[in-house]
Amino acid sequence: MEKMLAYILNLATLMCINAVLAITLNFIMGYAGIFSIAHAIFFGVGAYTAAYFALHASASLFLAIPVSMVAAGLLSLILALPALRVRGEYFVAASLGLQVLGVTIFSEWKSFTGGLGGVIGIPPADLFGHAITDPVQFLLLAAGCLVLVILVTNTLLRSSFGRNLKAIRDSESAAHAFGKNVAVIKTLSVMISSALAAIAGALYAFYLGFINVESFTLDTSVLLMAMVIIGGTGTLLGPIVGTVLLMLLPSLFSYMWFLPQTEIGAIQQIAYGAAMVLLMIFRPGGLVSARKNQGEP
Amino acid sequence: MLLLQLLINGIQVGALYALIAVGFSLIFGSTRVFHFAHGATFTIAAYVFYYVYSVAHLHWLLAVLGAALAAVVFGVLLDRFVYAPIQRHEGSFFTVFVASLGIGIIVQNLIGMIFGRGFVSVSTPLSRSAELIPGLYVSPLSGIAIVCAIVFFGALQLFLMRTHIGMGMRALSENPELIRVYGLSPRRLSTIVFALGSLLAVPAAILSAASSGLNPAVTHHVMLISLAATIVGGVGSLRGAACAGLLLGLSENLALLYLEPQWSEAVTFIVLFLFILFRPSGFFGRAITS
Repeated sequence: MEKMLAYILNLATLMCINAVLAITLNFIMGYAGIFSIAHAIFFGVGAYTAAYFALHASASLFLAIPVSMVAAGLLSLILALPALRVRGEYFVAASLGLQVLGVTIFSEWKSFTGGLGGVIGIPPADLFGHAITDPVQFLLLAAGCLVLVILVTNTLLRSSFGRNLKAIRDSESAAHAFGKNVAVIKTLSVMISSALAAIAGALYAFYLGFINVESFTLDTSVLLMAMVIIGGTGTLLGPIVGTVLLMLLPSLFSYMWFLPQTEIGAIQQIAYGAAMVLLMIFRPGGLVSARKNQGEP
Repeated sequence: MLLLQLLINGIQVGALYALIAVGFSLIFGSTRVFHFAHGATFTIAAYVFYYVYSVAHLHWLLAVLGAALAAVVFGVLLDRFVYAPIQRHEGSFFTVFVASLGIGIIVQNLIGMIFGRGFVSVSTPLSRSAELIPGLYVSPLSGIAIVCAIVFFGALQLFLMRTHIGMGMRALSENPELIRVYGLSPRRLSTIVFALGSLLAVPAAILSAASSGLNPAVTHHVMLISLAATIVGGVGSLRGAACAGLLLGLSENLALLYLEPQWSEAVTFIVLFLFILFRPSGFFGRAITS
């Protein structure tokens, strides 16, 4: 029973962290039309920065999280650069490049990231001088951050900034013609998305107490993209639904005793690959948006 | 001597990249399908070759034919049953890209389950390197790679310039309606494009299986290279894709003069990044900026 509870707490915490990532990715993908496959890099930058900061300065959440957000936000300018130059399919290639480059740097910059071995012994997160080691408390913290990120992104999307974003997604030239500063809006949206993704990174580092490059590879980026797409891009609920579904998948498969245990990972990947293909053929808007977007082109 | 060795390796790898990139570029240029699963085609061909030649111990010619058949069938089936239905109701680049990405994931994992995720090597009589002059090792495969690249590229150019179907393929990207007016079926042309594009990945797959061995993760690598080469070369330009493939192979190998091998993929993308920032239209391509 206790084991079951620990399992559920762990799953719920990781769901909150991944939902933050999916929501922030959807923020640029669904609203600004910037299809980035480098999201795991900003997750990683957040995690490594928070870990480094916690180890060498302070484990206080009110310091570590903002520092990692600033680091990810500034680094995201590298992603904004090609996003301003090219769009659509060409940007996918550029972000893919950044993803590959980032993973190489993560595994080679040993003094900061610990190389392939990773960073160990990250102290527990500190909130008002209280170390959060209890799994229930950490889940509450992660859920709190998730709610915060949802509130921030929703407020932004309802503001004039959000309307500008959608205008750019629908027609960049039209937005330009209306005197919108497309470059600034795009750059800002990439920065906001990356900075918010860093929150998930910091939480992840504090939660596990250990991070290495494995968590920030192309596979993670693709999984995050799958979460957003399967749930439904450009919807509020979509990324959350996608996250929950894709994170329940592993536990679902582990109940199927007839599957060879060593192949579970591969079977999962095949399942979400197949889900992506089938959805694109039959319901390209994703699960959530299927009803809502019917009237739109 | 090291420089010369790396130069030769670079040209060999570059020739293979050029073939892969030209296939991807051909498909993307004429059907507008962002065929991310081109990497999967490569992996399938390579593993079929490996299976028939090294596991089943059949004649190498059979292995080559098997690989070619598998690649073509895979490409054509994808076009028919995945891309065509999507394009019928929604043409957006993103939808096709996601489906293609999904296919790539499925194939990579299936191959991993069937053949294992480790490295497999295919050793052929041609794989062994000979020491040409002291310190310089060259295998016959380098020469074959270069000859293959030239022959296939030349044949493709002739096909596109001289035959009706080839000219139709070139027109397909410009104006699918016009194709219909002239009594050609865009659907049939698309099938031919996919068959040809997939076929171009086959020599590269076989030669890299025989020279450096393979594992399922090669799918990603090939996909990255095709993309990078297509953009560096200029979208829609086959000549550009070929040159870019060569450039990427060379820079990847020459970078070894200064960097550790694990940076080679990063070097590819630094080249790509520089092109996107400073010359987004590539070597010879059309402008792709907004």
